[in-house]
Amino acid sequence: MDSREYAQLFLTESREHVAAVNQSLLQLERDSTGPAAASAVGAIFRAVHTIKGMAATMGYTVVADLAHELETVLDCVRRGELSIEATIMDTLFRSADVLEHAVEAAVGGREGDVVASDLIASLRALTGKPAAELAAVPPPRDEALPPSVHAEPADAGELVRIWLQPETPLRGVRAFLIVQALATIGDVVSTAPALADLQNEDFDNEFAVRLATSQPAGEIERVVRAVGDVLDVRFGDARPSGAWAVPTPAWGMPALTMTPAHDMAAMSGMTLTPAQGIVATPAGETRSESGRVRSVRIDVRRLDALMNLIGELVIARGRLTQLATELGDLSLEETVMQSSRLITELRDEITASRMVPVSQVFDRYPRVVRDASRAVGKPVDFVIEGKDIELDRSMLDEIGDSLVHLLRNAVDHGIEAADARAAAGKPPAGRLVLSAVRDRSAVVIKVSDDGKGIDRERVLARAKRDGLVDDGKTELTEDELLRLLARPGFSTAEKVTGLSGRGVGVDAVYTKVRALGGAMDIRSVPGQGTTVLIRLPLTLAIMRALLARVGRETYAIPLAHVSETVELVPDVLRTVKGKEVLLARDEVLPLLRLRSLVGLPAYSPATEVDLEHVVVIDLGDRRAGLVIDELTGQEEIVVKQYDAVRDGPPFFGGATLLSDGRPSLIVDVSSLL
Amino acid sequence: MSQRVLVCDDAIFMRTMVGDILTQAGFEVVGEAETGLQAVEKYRELRPDLVTMDIVMPDMGGIDAVREICKFDPSARILMCSAMGQQALVVEAIQAGAKDFVVKPFQPSRVLEAVQRVLA
Repeated sequence: MDSREYAQLFLTESREHVAAVNQSLLQLERDSTGPAAASAVGAIFRAVHTIKGMAATMGYTVVADLAHELETVLDCVRRGELSIEATIMDTLFRSADVLEHAVEAAVGGREGDVVASDLIASLRALTGKPAAELAAVPPPRDEALPPSVHAEPADAGELVRIWLQPETPLRGVRAFLIVQALATIGDVVSTAPALADLQNEDFDNEFAVRLATSQPAGEIERVVRAVGDVLDVRFGDARPSGAWAVPTPAWGMPALTMTPAHDMAAMSGMTLTPAQGIVATPAGETRSESGRVRSVRIDVRRLDALMNLIGELVIARGRLTQLATELGDLSLEETVMQSSRLITELRDEITASRMVPVSQVFDRYPRVVRDASRAVGKPVDFVIEGKDIELDRSMLDEIGDSLVHLLRNAVDHGIEAADARAAAGKPPAGRLVLSAVRDRSAVVIKVSDDGKGIDRERVLARAKRDGLVDDGKTELTEDELLRLLARPGFSTAEKVTGLSGRGVGVDAVYTKVRALGGAMDIRSVPGQGTTVLIRLPLTLAIMRALLARVGRETYAIPLAHVSETVELVPDVLRTVKGKEVLLARDEVLPLLRLRSLVGLPAYSPATEVDLEHVVVIDLGDRRAGLVIDELTGQEEIVVKQYDAVRDGPPFFGGATLLSDGRPSLIVDVSSLL
Repeated sequence: MSQRVLVCDDAIFMRTMVGDILTQAGFEVVGEAETGLQAVEKYRELRPDLVTMDIVMPDMGGIDAVREICKFDPSARILMCSAMGQQALVVEAIQAGAKDFVVKPFQPSRVLEAVQRVLA
């Protein structure tokens, strides 16, 4: 691995650990004593400790130093020297933030931008001791003494003087190892300084052992040197020859001065084979050998590249299948069929490999909500449901920030202040629920609060002022409400707070959801709360679509949003209030004509097929009929980036290449409904 | 035949780095463990020539894992991987049966020296 890959590994893993820290901090805030608290502190300690070790290895000193100070405080908490109260929690939360920031900055080569000195001062103030003292260790217990150390007269035995290499790491332990090794060839009569002080690193690089042994000096020296880090060994009162006794600071991490680049270079050129490779799962998902999941970490970009390739392959397959059919060669058709099946399986596997549980992103949110709730002083009960639901990795990353917007909005504007809630007969703490459920080939993410609901009067007034609706309008439907809120810059918040109200909330979310091929809905009941529903496809890239022809053009309609297709016989067509509607079973559905949407002349039976067709499209509980000339087939399509023409028709969500090589636009069902 | 190593650390980063250092020096990493419990299980299963053991791990720390492994195989060769400031813990680990230690951040040469001492 080269240093860039190590940096990436560091980043990925540190992020996970910071997330774990945040989660445990929240737990600690709920239960500040008892076993739950102890386990939370333990978990935080381990995560911080791991980050420290990795950062030190990478030479990220700011991260390592900060982690070290944090670890020191946590250690005090663990030992009961510090109890958990509000100021400590605040400092710990702040530390998690700065640590996260420092990790990102360090990997980005901007470690110098991180100012942690204030925080480090606060952390030190908590323990009330300078850091150096804390690095020291409590006095070792009696059992730490090897059995052969006796309190005998100081002049018995041979005096062995030992000098350790300057900057020997943990020289106290090294000294202990040496004493232990000497005890195997004789009786250790005494040590100077005393063994306890040796272990505490209460010496420079020199110490002495009195050893009663029958072994010759040469053998003693060999045994001592074999322990390692030994600069010199002398017998009697002689001084050592080399330079020595350069004291190291207590929290020295002397090797921090090593240049990672150098070390990485020394290790580059190695490749990891799968057998010895990075066999690991994220912390907490440990699976043992016994036949369960073994996983390999893969760069997301590699998965993206695979997804693109399989997309191209799916297109090529369509073309191949068509050609084979045209040629009529049976053995060719059979082979093509077989490859086709394999390609489908391959695609499914690749798609599955990109799926991750939403918890990977959702687990960040309890912290977000906590901070928001504290910032505005409203207590909030936050519940996450459906953490295990899986979603495409890129999709999840893309939607993450939007969900933060919605959660903050809910805390800031949705949920009322405690007194208003009391007046409305609600419990003092607002309830905020984030849930994910699987619905056919989509995942529905719901953010719902039990607050005051969106003030339609105010939205209406604002819309009138901006000239967005008729002055005579007195009511807004849910759809109109969504459309207004989703307008860029539309905000009714009285004041801009640090959390939201800049008018970049709902519209930004709406745009993002649309860009991901999803759909959004807002349901708001005055006095009872607001629910935002986001429906996302499971994966960005590949979908099944119906191919619909109008005139000589073919459009793709995502099959996930098609509930049925019917022929447009006169029986099912009605006109209500001057508008065409479709009678489908017992329902009356609005009717849209694709021809008029794309600006083609109206359908004429003389030049066309006998009967037009209707595709019934649906999105959640909204349905409509879309009139087309005819259906020409079903195909797996690969969504390509689509640079919409400015002011062009807004109801296309992407483009694709059909199996016969022709381009086709993909109908965005959510914008039609 | 190259010597077989079991690498125990809760950080993938560290396992990768230790693995890289050892592999390049001709060792064979036959297994990895990310908790103390796993370390003990894998030791019994793989009987490696050498174990590198982190001290701070979830589900049984490294020191208890050393104790368990040495109970099972008193001749186990275990190298502790520690951080600065953990001297008391390293001493405890050595009393529990570990043979030597290296201190993070790792320098390949130091790791290999320690490994040679442990295997000597």
